[in-house]
Amino acid sequence: MHLGPPPSRPLVLLTALLGGPAVADDLFVDSQALPQILTATRLRQSPAAVPGSMSVLDSELIRASGARNVPELLRLVPGMMVGYGAGNQPAANYHGSSVNDARRMQVLVDGRSVYRAGLATVDWGDIPLALEDIERIEVFRGPNTVSYGANALMAVVNILTRSPADSHGTRLKVIRGQRGIDDWYASQGLGWEGGDLRLSLSGQQDDGFDHNAQGQHYRDGRRLTRLSLSASHALNAEQSLDWQFSAKEGSEQRPYAYTPVFPGVSGAGANADVNAKDYAASVRWNIDLDPWHSLYLQGSALHWDRQQVWRACDAAIAFSPQLAQLWRLNPGYTERLARNIDAPIPPGSDQEQALAREVRQQWHNGGANPVCGDIDQSTRESRLDLELQDTLSLSDSLRLVSGVAYRYDRADSQTYYDGSLDDTTWRLFGQLEWRADEHWIVQGGAMFEDTRLAGSSLAPRLAVNYLITPRHGLRAVYSEAVRSPDMFENNVNWSYRVDNLRPAAFGQRHAEYFVTTRGPGDLDQERMRSQELGYNGFFSEIGLSLDIKLFHDQLTGMVSEPLRNNRPIASNANKARFTGSEAQLDWQLRSADRLRLTYAYVDAWASNPDDRHLSARNSGSAGWLRDWGRGWSSAVFYYGDDALNQYRFERVDLRVARRIPIRNASLELAGMLQQRLDDEPTSNWQNRYDSRQVLYLSAELEF
Amino acid sequence: MRLLHACLVLMLAWPLSALAAADILVTAAQGNAGVRDFVTALRAQRPTDHVRFTAVSELPAGHRLKPGTRLILLDLAALDWRLKQAEGPPTLALRVSRVQASRHLGDRRPSYLSLLWSDPPPARQLRLAHYLLPQARRIGVLYTENSRFLLDELRQAAKALRLEIIAQAWPDPRDNRPLQAVLKNSDVLLGLDDPLLYNATTAKHLLLSSYARQVPLIGPNAGFVRAGGLASTLSDQHDWLAVLDRLLDQPPAAWPRTLYPERFRVAGNQQVARALGIEAIDPVAAQQAVAAGEKHR
Repeated sequence: MHLGPPPSRPLVLLTALLGGPAVADDLFVDSQALPQILTATRLRQSPAAVPGSMSVLDSELIRASGARNVPELLRLVPGMMVGYGAGNQPAANYHGSSVNDARRMQVLVDGRSVYRAGLATVDWGDIPLALEDIERIEVFRGPNTVSYGANALMAVVNILTRSPADSHGTRLKVIRGQRGIDDWYASQGLGWEGGDLRLSLSGQQDDGFDHNAQGQHYRDGRRLTRLSLSASHALNAEQSLDWQFSAKEGSEQRPYAYTPVFPGVSGAGANADVNAKDYAASVRWNIDLDPWHSLYLQGSALHWDRQQVWRACDAAIAFSPQLAQLWRLNPGYTERLARNIDAPIPPGSDQEQALAREVRQQWHNGGANPVCGDIDQSTRESRLDLELQDTLSLSDSLRLVSGVAYRYDRADSQTYYDGSLDDTTWRLFGQLEWRADEHWIVQGGAMFEDTRLAGSSLAPRLAVNYLITPRHGLRAVYSEAVRSPDMFENNVNWSYRVDNLRPAAFGQRHAEYFVTTRGPGDLDQERMRSQELGYNGFFSEIGLSLDIKLFHDQLTGMVSEPLRNNRPIASNANKARFTGSEAQLDWQLRSADRLRLTYAYVDAWASNPDDRHLSARNSGSAGWLRDWGRGWSSAVFYYGDDALNQYRFERVDLRVARRIPIRNASLELAGMLQQRLDDEPTSNWQNRYDSRQVLYLSAELEF
Repeated sequence: MRLLHACLVLMLAWPLSALAAADILVTAAQGNAGVRDFVTALRAQRPTDHVRFTAVSELPAGHRLKPGTRLILLDLAALDWRLKQAEGPPTLALRVSRVQASRHLGDRRPSYLSLLWSDPPPARQLRLAHYLLPQARRIGVLYTENSRFLLDELRQAAKALRLEIIAQAWPDPRDNRPLQAVLKNSDVLLGLDDPLLYNATTAKHLLLSSYARQVPLIGPNAGFVRAGGLASTLSDQHDWLAVLDRLLDQPPAAWPRTLYPERFRVAGNQQVARALGIEAIDPVAAQQAVAAGEKHR
């Protein structure tokens, strides 16, 4: 039966919109011709319909926390394990795995991945981003490579900065406090017809931890300066262009940590400090083809520059070509020989023994003399990222998000790569959201990725949400995710060329240290299988939102070996399993009070002991924010982990602030007290403070 | 004989028909399709009256219009014309908002003029916000110097509903700080029909900012609901024809100086409601609930 041409889509939607007959030409209704702005492609799912667990840290929470770096903020996210390699090396991992690196978590700043191209980690302290510029942080707790690409294995931290349009005016802020805390921030925002821009300058400094396990001063302070420019331009009603540029320069203290392999060497360098420069630039072109179809093209370029030249001392024999040859033949044998150079030659093959005898002879002919030289452990990493994402609303209940991305990574390091190494990655992704009816939502998708060095992989994902009401939803999610081994794990060619040797070793001023390590080159992707059941609800009558999650995650093919040059090379031999539950409650009691509670129970098992360290079985946070009126406000937070890297962590933070209006300006004075409730080191046995408390004060002027 | 009878009937009936059939002159700057459609609809509504349209530029001076004419103004150009005439027929001014009237007339309310407000009554909008978002207590309101006078009325209406008005001046829409401030402190944003604030230039940032903070926008008109606001009350041509029908049946002396139409509808944006996790809006139920609230004042 033919009933004539179907009504055009705009008419159907308009009718639905106005709940009755179309009134497009009504003289009394359409006085303003406005384009549709919150289109189907711009609107996102309500929290109850999100296909996974999400924690949002809003600007109020960020300010109230008094945190000075992003990992400290992530303590507010259930299941997030926050630790420190040293005072200037904060680390965050979701549920666990290795202490020092955020290898299995994707971290994005305005859609730009800040996961380092070459060295499998996120340098939290070096991201060229001031906390004051952050609008909110969305943490997707679970794998989501379909939406965020590979490395979005265990979680995704999506940092969104304030839009330039919301940054008009001037902000000046200083923070001073104990432990050498000395931060500052200044920003200026301005707008013109069709555009807005924000310039931020900031600096940060502190002394890190006070002493190490031996009671000696711990060299882990840091100092940095940042610049950030962010602009947006409305090209016309359908197109806009956003661009950003950020740069950071800073220095991070590192203690001299080299222990001579050979006996009788007492000389030592002073430190192994790092000078770190970070640059990031991105451009995003947003195009709304019509209210049901939009796309964006984003290009970003990042550059990490780590200059680390330090002086180390060992016996001249460490530069023996024969010892290096023996290492390449049998590292274990060589280590036994080197550690016991005065002992009888260990049994081995004829070739090993012959080389060992030569080395022993060199040892007695001047090889035992101490020599000192410069080690250049500098790295330069670059990334170029291009992504095209298309959002198409096929109907009122069907939406397709798809795209293609290209990435070029390059790492330069004499020490790690004996020159340079690069890699290219292609990625295709697609996700379909189908709202079957007012209760059921099915969301599924897949990502296909191909990297030149690590091969290709496919990761599917399927989620079903049942909305009891629009604000209360149950969800079941199955997802697979992959992490491609990075260039360091797979293709490291680790050797130390030592310069400026004094006295010369074997007549050489420049020589190769005997220990070398090569990556296997054939590592496969790590694979994660995650199952999740959850509930998300908002009780609007009392202003309470609640999210509960039960999870069972399995990681296989894990590359767990720590990145050290004298350890076995990386393999895909490891596994881990995480089972548990998480809860998150955010309660706006009245307009003046807000309560926030998080809790995570994680039962972690890992085949490699290194992957067991950063999983606290019980962890959580509790916060109370209150506006006392007359400009006074306060926030109290409790953070606790029962055993993070074997150490208990409990801390209470109190922030008291007063906002004082001064003509057209606003001055906020705040005091922040952090009180540890235990005497344990902080996630690493070296990380110790002299006192349980730290106090810092801030003053911020806005006009 | 037949002809004589017809003439007699015509002569006797002439004065009666002259009394019953009014001369209704509709005027606006231009007679576009919407205006023509309205005139046609008014003719259909008032078959016994003589309804005609004349563009403002073609109108004679007010005192030269036929006595007994009822003038209907459809835009500000027509209103300005009428205000300049020392004499003229009783006038119904449509499609003029309170903010516009305040700019054009100040506090003057000429006796010949009935202002029929085009903007939704603030109290009605407040009731709609209260009905759709019963948990919302803090109602953010942006205003300029032109719309500041509406705040007292809004506060009175809010008091009756036990709501709090968070008023924030927004003198320069290029500077978004007042918008951010009001969104930060409000559960819902109530849009006043002030064209300096709610216009095609500000719409994008207003709607994107309110959505980013999950603060729904109520009002100020149907255009904003279509663009991404949550809902608004509105009176369409059908509603206004009913109002006019009633007023034109009355002698002009009985016309009110100002009037909000009692008939209205509710427009809701279902996509936005869904994205905000709000129950689907039932426009009929919402209209009935808001109307019932007005009756029980």
